[in-house]
Amino acid sequence: MKQYAYYPGCSLESLAKSYHLSSIEAARELGLELKEIEDWNCCGATAYFHVDELLAYTLVARNLALAEKENLDFVAPCSGCYKNAYFTNDYLQQDPGLAEHINFALEEDNLHISGPINVRHLIEVFVEDVGFEEIKKHVSRPLKDLRVAPYYGCQLLRPKKDSEDVENPQFFEDLLSAIGSDPVEYGSKTHCCGSSLIITNREAALDMVYKLLQDAANREADVIATICPLCNVNLELYQKQVNREFGTDFSMPVMYFTQLLGLALGVEPGRLGIGKDFVSTDSMQFIMQNPQSS
Amino acid sequence: MSEKVGVYICHCGTNIAKTVDVEEVALWAGEQDHVDVAREYKFMCSSLGQELIEEDIKEKGLTKIVVASCSPHMHEKTFRTACVRGGLNPFMFEMANIREHDSWTTDDREAATLKAKALTKAAIERVIHNQPLEPLPVEINPNTLVVGGGIAGISAALELAEAGNHVYLVEREPSIGGHMAQLDKTFPTLDCSACILTPKMVDVGQHPNITLLTYSEVEAVGGYLGNFDVTVRKKARYVDEEHCTGCGICIEKCPYKVVDNVFEAGLGARKVIYRPFPQAVPKYPVIDTENCVYFQRGKCKACQIFCPTDPNSIDFEQQDEILQIVVGNIILATGFDLFDVSQIPQYGYGRLANVFTSLEFERMVNASGPTDGKIVLRDLETPPESVVIIHCVGSRDENYHKYCSKVCCMYSLKFAHLIHERLPEAEVYNCYIDMRTPGKGYEEFYNRLLEEGTHFIRGKVAEVSDVARIEEEEGKLIVQVADTLISKQRRIPVDMVILSPAMEARNDSQEVSQLFRMGCDFDGFFVERHPKLDPVATMTEGIYIAGACQGPKDVPDTVSQGAAAAARVASFISRGTVMMEPIRASINQELCSGCRICNTMCPYNAIVFHEDSNVSEVITALCQGCGTCVAACPSGIITGAHFTNDQLLAQIEGILWDVRSNLDLVPVE
Amino acid sequence: MAAKLTFSKEIANLLYAMHGNPIKDCIQCGTCSGTCPAVEFMDHSPRELIAMIGANLKDEVLHSNTYWSCASCYYCNVRCPAGIDIADLMYALKRYSMWKDQYKKDLIGPKFSESFVKMIMRTGRSFEPVLAPSYIFKYGTRGIIQEAQTASALVLKGRLPLLPKKIKRLENLKRMVRRIIPIGEPS
Ligand SMILES: Cc1cc2nc3c(=O)[nH]c(=O)nc-3n(C[C@H](O)[C@H](O)[C@H](O)COP(=O)(O)OP(=O)(O)OC[C@H]3O[C@@H](n4cnc5c(N)ncnc54)[C@H](O)[C@@H]3O)c2cc1C
Ligand code: SF4
Ligand code: SF4
Repeated sequence: MKQYAYYPGCSLESLAKSYHLSSIEAARELGLELKEIEDWNCCGATAYFHVDELLAYTLVARNLALAEKENLDFVAPCSGCYKNAYFTNDYLQQDPGLAEHINFALEEDNLHISGPINVRHLIEVFVEDVGFEEIKKHVSRPLKDLRVAPYYGCQLLRPKKDSEDVENPQFFEDLLSAIGSDPVEYGSKTHCCGSSLIITNREAALDMVYKLLQDAANREADVIATICPLCNVNLELYQKQVNREFGTDFSMPVMYFTQLLGLALGVEPGRLGIGKDFVSTDSMQFIMQNPQSS
Repeated sequence: MSEKVGVYICHCGTNIAKTVDVEEVALWAGEQDHVDVAREYKFMCSSLGQELIEEDIKEKGLTKIVVASCSPHMHEKTFRTACVRGGLNPFMFEMANIREHDSWTTDDREAATLKAKALTKAAIERVIHNQPLEPLPVEINPNTLVVGGGIAGISAALELAEAGNHVYLVEREPSIGGHMAQLDKTFPTLDCSACILTPKMVDVGQHPNITLLTYSEVEAVGGYLGNFDVTVRKKARYVDEEHCTGCGICIEKCPYKVVDNVFEAGLGARKVIYRPFPQAVPKYPVIDTENCVYFQRGKCKACQIFCPTDPNSIDFEQQDEILQIVVGNIILATGFDLFDVSQIPQYGYGRLANVFTSLEFERMVNASGPTDGKIVLRDLETPPESVVIIHCVGSRDENYHKYCSKVCCMYSLKFAHLIHERLPEAEVYNCYIDMRTPGKGYEEFYNRLLEEGTHFIRGKVAEVSDVARIEEEEGKLIVQVADTLISKQRRIPVDMVILSPAMEARNDSQEVSQLFRMGCDFDGFFVERHPKLDPVATMTEGIYIAGACQGPKDVPDTVSQGAAAAARVASFISRGTVMMEPIRASINQELCSGCRICNTMCPYNAIVFHEDSNVSEVITALCQGCGTCVAACPSGIITGAHFTNDQLLAQIEGILWDVRSNLDLVPVE
Repeated sequence: MAAKLTFSKEIANLLYAMHGNPIKDCIQCGTCSGTCPAVEFMDHSPRELIAMIGANLKDEVLHSNTYWSCASCYYCNVRCPAGIDIADLMYALKRYSMWKDQYKKDLIGPKFSESFVKMIMRTGRSFEPVLAPSYIFKYGTRGIIQEAQTASALVLKGRLPLLPKKIKRLENLKRMVRRIIPIGEPS
């Protein structure tokens, strides 16, 4: 079993519990072990970077150092955590002065970073390490006729790292095709969900969520698939409030990509955290009741 | 032998004197060994400055001259000539660059003065070892090769041919004309592009002094200024040019059509045997073997069956021809490529049907183009009611090309005008960062568009999408842009979007520049010898550049550069010979061990090996003085004239003069 | 005499060298403002804000809500033709205004960030209910009721634990922080 240093991040302990459950399940079905980093701490989200950059890097660095000790790839299911980890790792490599400073602080927890560490987003592990062909082989309950709107959001793609396509990527669509579903083309897939503005500037965030839901609904998506707890919360938990503010009646299920993947791999819905949703997934019953094909 | 050196320190107005204490340097220079006289002067390159040198040589019997001033690129020739007038061999001169290498690099007067001394000292030490040399006369072959038959190559070829010189014009495509042949009208006067271009194309085709080689490419280039050996591959057209009358029946009868991605920019179709456009020069068609059913599957031959000439002009067995030509000079006029807009996915090209490139639009508005000049959407029927033209697509952008492409503002305005003219009801928006219209009559053209009612939005477009948020946006392309003049994010729903992409270097410019042994800049454009004073020559003698291969430019600038390159070549030809720097390698045959290491290293194949005497020899006429063999010889017995070990070591000693004197203070153990 | 540090230089210095090109490179093209999904909620667009920094309009910049409305989507970054790291500039401005304790008073952002940082110093992880007091009172009665309803529904669905988790080696973490900022005791 291939192992990864898994960094769930704070949301996966509470609001995004089902992301945690489904990630573990889907990974196991495909022969991967997500080994939770012991005693990890919060990565600082965005808020910490508002207050002190150096301290924020230090928080992230502790988690990276814990992964380095295990000698495993660092894997985050949350795009925000992923972005913080990816760039902190990058800056530590580029700036020996910064690395020295931070290693000095890490001494207090008997840790050290020499790096470089492989920082990955969970979806990259499925797309790159497992691969579409391998996934296809394991699908026992293809999500036939399910129109899924892949929602990439921001921080997995941006800031730009190399020459990857940050405007119109395709790997999420390809993954959705591999599990037998029907990916929906819609222009907003890389637009912003409002992230933490949902707390600090709710009006702005609801406006962004509204536009996303509107686009996905216009393209007749059955469900939006997400790769980040924050995106999921904004689109799902606040859907009701969008309906109130904008006079709409969206009832668009929002699911983690790992939940859909798990379903296709034949995992029982309850074990994927399905049923804890705010927007009912009843409209998707036809999928969950599909007999397994194999 | 005791040398008498004259040293001259130039102020260059304030260019040098502002940071270097020239008086101090001159005083100090006067105290150096062998120096007989040292002076400073405001402008050494002026006639008075040059006379100073001449008079000192005559009156004081100077044997060597050093001028510390600007780059040898600027004035080495000036001062060498002054030496000759004074009665010295021109190589008894040395130049120290205390401007580009010194005063322009710093504000630190003390450091700059010190460096000026070091550079001057190096020149003094070196010049003492300089030997008199005689320039080598080289005969200039009067034929010229022009590569690329766009308007740049056409202009250069015609200028030369008119002056009575023979020109080989090599063009890769089946016809000459380049991009200009694809355009409809040309700004700012809006004359029809074909009407002004085709007479010139015809002249080229008929000129007795021009050998036109279309559908051809240069494969190899040897030799040097005056005598280049060029290998050209003339690709098989499968049409016999001797008998073909250009009647076009074969084209009419060919049963197969393919999308024309070259001339029609993908907007129209052509037959498999084709002429890119009706006025093509030469008139002979060519078979596109990749799509030809006969070539792929062995059946059809419709063209041959219907060809009315006797003997039949279709020749399926025709082979590529390899031609060897000798020319004295070469002009490169290979033009530009258009930036691939799909690299900017947020503008939707390829994904959103009604996003067009500028070249597609040129073909569309062209009366002889695929839509007969009608402006329509991708369905080829519906005229748009509203159009956004986006400037700077891939230009002025760190992510793609940092430079400004110079012509797109003007042709974007031209597009707006053409839309107003053909679809008076349509709303036209130009989204620009800065409106760049320098040029004769250009700003007036912009004013005209303002009066015609174009909506000008100052802002770089963020994205084009089909994601409607309100009813008016449904079924439209939505252009999202910050209108920076009113500080508002706007979403403009329109039917059509035209992208004005950057002009970029040809995708093979790197290889072409290597083939001709000259340089490309970071962006892939060919590098001129001097950006202001010599924009047509290159660092390689005998090779010139003209048109958009040197950098983005419009037709008037391209034509001027083509003519300028031709004039430079013509002046060489009329001189008949040129004097070349006698900087050549020579092998001391008595000491040569015959190891042959140098033989294969010489990039010009200028070294021969004498089997009988077991020694190598440099053929002076072929040697370019690059010095590769000098460095490679394990016995150190190859000498580069004017770059001898004595000269170089003395120069190094000179530049380290103050370091050496400090070292002397350290007692040697 | 040391040259006087202008506001625009001060801001430029705040950005680590590895974050993009200097903001002086801005060509005022408006790509950022055209792209920004929150621009309607900003009193100045990102482009304007950059021009204002250049013009040393310190007070106006410090009292702008622009950077507190930034969602960190980094969309402007990837499109900016001048290679400016606009989103990280927004972060820098947030930090600057918090250090100077000068920001528009009715904003939730600064208070929220402050309590977030304090919370992490107490537990090592973040936990939504602890944060609520930093912003919830700005929502008005109706808002508060809605938040409370959502929260209790979450608890019922098992998506919200009642107590925050603490990391085990919290003391080490606190000492790490003190090595970076060696002043005072973290509360
Ligand atoms: C959409 C658009 C509209 C424009 N409108 C105007 C306008 O209204 N007015 C104006 O003044 N300018 C206009 N221009 C600019 C104009 O097109 C250029 O200034 C002009 O075409 C440059 O000519 P050129 O000969 O340097 O290059 P090109 O036209 O590109 O010609 C180069 C030629 O060299 C050939 N070639 C390339 N490589 C090789 C090789 N290795 N061997 C042999 N042959 C080779 C090519 O096939 C081509 O025929 C416009 C440009 C565009 C893109
Ligand atoms: S000419 Fe105008 S459109 Fe073209 S790159 Fe320059 S500024 Fe942009
Ligand atoms: S996109 Fe970049 S260059 Fe353009 S206005 Fe914004 S910061 Fe300035």
